[in-house]
Amino acid sequence: MIVAASVYIFGAIAAAATLLMLFQRNPVKAALLMLTALLATAGLYLAISAQLLAVLQVILYAGAIMTLFIVALAVTPEAWHDKPSPARLKQVLGLAAAAIIYMELVKVSAALRAVPVSREFRDAGTLDLARQLFGPFAFQFELLSLVILASIVAAVTLGMRRKANQ
Amino acid sequence: MTMHAPAFISFFLFAVAAAGFLTCGNLVRMLMFLELMLNAANIALVALGPAPQSQSYAVMLFAIAAAEAGVGLALIITLASVFKTLEAGNIKELKG
Repeated sequence: MIVAASVYIFGAIAAAATLLMLFQRNPVKAALLMLTALLATAGLYLAISAQLLAVLQVILYAGAIMTLFIVALAVTPEAWHDKPSPARLKQVLGLAAAAIIYMELVKVSAALRAVPVSREFRDAGTLDLARQLFGPFAFQFELLSLVILASIVAAVTLGMRRKANQ
Repeated sequence: MTMHAPAFISFFLFAVAAAGFLTCGNLVRMLMFLELMLNAANIALVALGPAPQSQSYAVMLFAIAAAEAGVGLALIITLASVFKTLEAGNIKELKG
């Protein structure tokens, strides 16, 4: 009962924050709404007993990635002065495409109405997750360090080119 | 509670974020909506997959999201310094 209520409440908060982001013109307020959606998602993870993911969500998404966004907004004053282009057709097409995606996803998920939440969904612990990450998924997990290294190299290279151009 | 509730939440979040990504023209906001789409996909993965395996994949997706945000924002800052705009519609040539 409490789990179901938490899932619905945190889901509603995340959905409301994402919806409000659509209509928010101020980029910093949009970033704060995104932070709300990400924190609500952390609550959702906690409700479905994915404790480690909830902690990682707060540290990585709500901490590191949001800080990146705020820094990017601070160093690009262009983001504050741009006028939105009055392309109505593009907006209508975008909303129609999103509505089609949503309807298809809802149609596909209709079969899930009969599936109750599984037992292992409730009992999964951090120890099981650690055993998976350092057991069968160890190679993939280590490979991620290469992905992050490549992204650091790319970001630094782009930053150096920008400095050379100035 | 059935599996439909978390799936429905993640699908709704994904659709709203996709609508934002497709309708707004500002690059920073587009990247924000892209992150929210990835976040919604993560929720679906954790809620619908078998517990320890799906959570392992979700941890890996966190790292991918961080890498994507880093490279994306570096690109956006470079584009802003070259073109002096962040509206995707105003950037019309690939040569910087």
